[in-house]
Parts: sequence; structure tokens; C-alpha cells
Amino acid sequence: MTDALALLWPPFLVALALIGIHAYFGIQVLARGVIFVDLALAQIAALGSTVAFMLGHSMQSGAGYGYSLAFTLVAALLLAFTRTWAGRIPQEALIGIIYVVAAAAAIVLIDRAPQGAEHLKQILTGNILTTGVGDLAPIVPLYLAIGILHFTLRHRLSASDGSSWPWEFVFYATFGIVVTSSVALAGVLLVFSFLIIPAAIGVLYADALARQLAIGWVLGTLASAAGLAVSYFWDLPTGAAMVCTFGAALALAGALYPFLHGDAARAARHVALGLRWSLAAVLVASAILLMAAPRADQPLLDAIESVAAPVRTLYLTAGEAEIYRDAHAHAERYAREAERLNALEARSRAGGEQLDDLLVRRISSFIKSYSEMRKGEEFVKREVRARARERMRWVLGPALLVLGLLIAPGVLTWASASIRKIPAGFPN
Amino acid sequence: MRSIALALVVAPLLTAAGVADSKLRIVTTTTDLASLTEAVGGDRVAVTSLVPPSFDPEEYQPKPGDVARLKEARLVVKVGLDYDLWFDRLISQAALTHPGARELRRGQPGHVDASAAIATLDVRGASVGPGDGHAHGSGNPHYWLDPKNAEIITGNILEALARVDPAHAGEYEANRLAFLKLLDDRMRDWEAKAGALNGVALIAHHNSWAYFARRFRLDFVGFIEPRPGVPPSPAHLSGLIKTMRERDVRLIVRQPHEPEKNIDFLAQKTKAAVVVLAGSVGATPAAKDYLSLFDANLDALAAAAKARP
Repeated sequence: MTDALALLWPPFLVALALIGIHAYFGIQVLARGVIFVDLALAQIAALGSTVAFMLGHSMQSGAGYGYSLAFTLVAALLLAFTRTWAGRIPQEALIGIIYVVAAAAAIVLIDRAPQGAEHLKQILTGNILTTGVGDLAPIVPLYLAIGILHFTLRHRLSASDGSSWPWEFVFYATFGIVVTSSVALAGVLLVFSFLIIPAAIGVLYADALARQLAIGWVLGTLASAAGLAVSYFWDLPTGAAMVCTFGAALALAGALYPFLHGDAARAARHVALGLRWSLAAVLVASAILLMAAPRADQPLLDAIESVAAPVRTLYLTAGEAEIYRDAHAHAERYAREAERLNALEARSRAGGEQLDDLLVRRISSFIKSYSEMRKGEEFVKREVRARARERMRWVLGPALLVLGLLIAPGVLTWASASIRKIPAGFPN
Repeated sequence: MRSIALALVVAPLLTAAGVADSKLRIVTTTTDLASLTEAVGGDRVAVTSLVPPSFDPEEYQPKPGDVARLKEARLVVKVGLDYDLWFDRLISQAALTHPGARELRRGQPGHVDASAAIATLDVRGASVGPGDGHAHGSGNPHYWLDPKNAEIITGNILEALARVDPAHAGEYEANRLAFLKLLDDRMRDWEAKAGALNGVALIAHHNSWAYFARRFRLDFVGFIEPRPGVPPSPAHLSGLIKTMRERDVRLIVRQPHEPEKNIDFLAQKTKAAVVVLAGSVGATPAAKDYLSLFDANLDALAAAAKARP
């Protein structure tokens, strides 16, 4: 646990610094309706680094940074004008074009210097897990300075009053500088989440900028902490896990909105209704799928069985269950044996007696055979289950169908009303 | 500096292809295979490799010029083991417009899969199973990094050369034997240098070193990115740091194209030194051909082992 904390607190601090500035820019970006501008700016900065690399500068050098800054400023100038140009062509289209052309140009250039391909990739796929406290030293003063600049010029830079292009240029230039440094640390996906999701939640729940910011910061912090924890306990790549928790945070905020802003009782009724309809739809669709194609994947049954394996005994006969268990045990054993042989060979590389080529070949062919045998057992498992499902489909399918119809709101009352409408004395 | 070194490696290949009309044209996917093919073919062949050094052949995107190169080739040599999967499709593409290239398709006389008869390591079957191995179902593809495997690779190349150019088969065979003699002499030297790393635990960014480790008895105890392209999880990284402390790992092996950030992070955490090795010919300036690849790598490792506190 202490290991985890030692490893996770520097990325957490970096995430806080990034959310601090990006939540603000996110609100501005949402107001301007230029959602993907950060991708365009990051890609332009990467193109600048690529050009520097082609001219013989290291990507980490001052010259490398200079080139990427110069490219970003040119792009900022372009972006400042896109608002004026945008008439028949929406501004987002122009931003998208800047993004794809910059990305393609970098690929074309790097094709002439193949060692650069990996470096180019690194500019855009930072790994927040391996950032350190040292990474904060350059960005915190920079972000603070830009924050203060924006605060003092807030009336000029706000999106609402149709500011003129020099002020738009200042906005995009400062944003470009921020994005360039943050993307190198956290990668394109995570920076986009930092930018848009806390801002979107803030905009959803508040009107004043200060409150929007406060909400964005708090929720961004919580989502980052949750993402880091999820990534540690479930052993997942950190950046991707954080993007998912940010997405979950937005979904949660959206789901809670009607409860917090409006008639809570009505919202609860709607939610209950929605849940019943969804559950009914899932049950009815599963019933139809089971009856029509019992051998196809049955997502509902598979999910239930993976959570509670004994459910299988409901439709497998004792003999089938035995075959299934046996095949499962064998498949596991073959997998273990293959792993054991691989480990044996790997251990022999450095220590102990060296295995000769003949033995290595035998090990490889054993592993291949085990893998084939395992596939065979997996086939048996699938086949036993498919046959049982095929046999039971006219029992299980209608049962699911009726259950679905019972759960669907109103179907039952509608059915009983229609029955009552049948006139008395109707010949039986 | 790097680009100059690159030019030095690539330029002779290009000019050779340009002037030598009487020569047998051969296209390989990687620079390693190009170097070994030259060793067998000698002056009679002009070899071009498609994937530039220090570029991941699994992610290579063929260019129109590659089709043109194939049109003139009499022989193609690939790594196989799913490492250069795009190559077969490229050959089919060339065969559409140039009937001569049909002879280069898989199963035809002009096609060499250099992995034939190699004792493959890290085979995981075709299952997408667990484990920390290579993603390749058919085994770890970095087999050229065991110099003993050069015997098999050059054997495969010789067989194909004798097939397409039987008139000079004797010459090719003599070339190969001379090369293997040279390799055998150097082998003793390399093994002596590798002796300095006896009992030294290492980690690498990616499991490219299985064959190299087996031949020189190196102890790789972990990999930073076990699944290519998927960044390491915190649990994996903290487990790796723990292993590095327990096993006293002082050296991290990096190839020039592998990302520096994760490696520097671990190096900083554990005070380990980073040693840059060439995974293929031309990846570092010193690895000019197949033999100097091992010279350079074992020198670098021996120097790092000596310098380690």
C-alpha cells in the first residue's frame, strides 16, 4: 500500500496542476464551441518538434521547444481568424482540417527520418504514471502566469462578447503553450478529458464562471483520485483508466442533474420507468435471441453464468455438467503445463544447465500441442453449453419473454384491460 | 550524427542497387537479414532492405517505391513468425503488375522465410493467453539476436540462392562457410565478454532479448512494457521496482527507438544505469553489420557491468 502511495502521489499532483488550468480553458473552449482545438494545437506542436528533429535538433532541446512554440503561434493566428472566416464552413471543420493536415504532414516528414517515428509518438502519448514531482517545476509557474494573464484580461478574452482577432490570438496562443506542455506529460486522450469533462460538469451545474471552475476542480480531483485507485487495484494502464473514470463522472453528474435541479420525485419516477423499460427490453431481446439462435453468443446468459456459475446447472443435465467441468479442468491444466514449460525454458537461459536446441524445439512443440488441446477442450465446453441451450430454448426463451413483459411498465394492465373488453357470453 | 551514420549504412546498399546490373537483386525486410544475405551472396548480389534500421518492422507501412524494388528482385527474405506480416501482401501487390514477382510469393522458389528450422522461444500457442510474453502466438520473433541462429538463417538463404542461381551455388556455399568461420571465432570473444555479466540481473523495455539472453546466459528479470503499445499499470511498475530492489538490478537495457520516459523513471527510482543496445543492424552507429552488431552490444554490456557500482 505504501508502495502504491509512493508511486501514485506524483502523478496525482501532476493531474491536479493540469486540471487547474485545463478546467478553466475547457469552460472557454465550450463557450467558443471549439471542442477539438486542443487536438489541433497539440498536433501542430508535434509537427514543430518534428521539423526541429529533421533539422538535426534533439526533441528535448531548446531549439526543439522553440520550433514547436513557433508552429503553435502560427496555428494560434490561424485559429484566431477561423472565427471570422467561419461562415458557410463551420469553425470545427477548419479545426479538424488543421488537425489532420498537421498529423499527416508530421508522418510525411518523419518518413525521411525513421528513428523519429517513436519520438513523434512519444510527444502525443505521454504516460502520467511515470511523471515525477520534477515535472511540476516548469509547468506550475507557467500555468500560474497564464492564469494571472487571463484573469487580468478576463473582459477581453471572454468568448461571449465577440472579441476581435488579436484577443482571440492571445487566447489560442496561451492555450497552445499550455496544451503543448501538458500533452507531453499526460498524452492526448487524458488532456482532452482534463479539458472538457470537468468544464462540462461545471457548466452543467452553474452559471457563474467562479462556481463552474470550483465544481470542475473538485470533481476533476475526485475523478483523478478514483482513476489512479482503479488503475492500481485492477492493474490497468493509468492514463486510460483515468479517462474512463472521468467519463463515468460525467455520466453520474448527468444522471444526478434532474434530482438536484428540479422535481426529485418526478425524476425518480422517470428513472424507475427507464430502468424497467431497459430491463424488459434486455429480457425480451435475450429471449428472442435464445429462441432464434441458441448457438449464438447469449450476452445475458453468459454474463449471469460468469457471475454465478451454478446457474448453469439449471439447464445442463448432470452428465453435461460433468463433461463441462471435466473439459474446464483439462483446459486449465493444459494452460498451466504450457506456462510451466515456458518458465522452465526461460529460467534455463541464465542459470543452471543450458537446454540444447533439440530440447527447446521439443518444448515449443509441446506448448503448441497443449494449446491445440486446450482449444479442443474449449470447443467441448462451448458445444455442451450450446446443445443444452438449444434443447432448453423453448422453455427458457418463453420464460424470459414473459418475465420481460411482466417487467415492462403498463403491458400487464393493458393486457388485462383488453381481456376484460372481451364481451360476456363470448363463445369459448 | 545519427543521420550521418544512417547514411553510411544505407548509402552502400542504394548505390550497389543502382550500378550493378549483372547482380542478383535481393530484397529483405530487415537490415539484419540484408547483412546476412550479403555475407552469403558476396559480390554476386545487390541487397536492399525495406524497413529502415531502428524502426519497428511490425508497424512498417510499405511505400510505393517498395513495390518497384520488388519488381526487380529475384529473391526475397523475411523474418517470419508474424513479425513482417505486411510483406506477403506487398509481394502479391507487386505480382499484380509484374508477373516476375509471382516467383517471390510464399511457397515459390524466390521466397525465403528465414525462421524455418529455428528453435523458437516464448511460444504461447495461438491463444491470447495470460503471461508476460511476447504477443506473438508463433513465438518470439527476435531470433537473429542469437548469433548461433545465423547458421540456420544463412542456411535458408543459401538454399534459396542455389535454387535461383545454381551456376554459382558453390561460390555461395564457400562464402557462407567463410562467414560462419568468422562468426565462430568471434563467438569465443563475445562469450568471454558476456562472462562479465554472469549473475547480473537486467531488465529491458520489451522482451526482444530472449534469444540473445539464452545464448549469452543473461538474466532478464522483468520488462517495462510486457504488452507492446500498452503502457504499464501501477501494479506492474511497483512490482518491477520491487523486483529490481530485491534482485539488485543495476542495468536497464534500452533500444534507441524505445521511449526514454518510462526507462528514465525507473532508472531514477532505482539508481540503475541505462545501457543502449542495438536490436538490429544499423540501430546504433557502431552496429554496422551483423558481426559488429554483437561486438557493439557485448562491448556496451561489458562496459556497463564494469562501471556498475
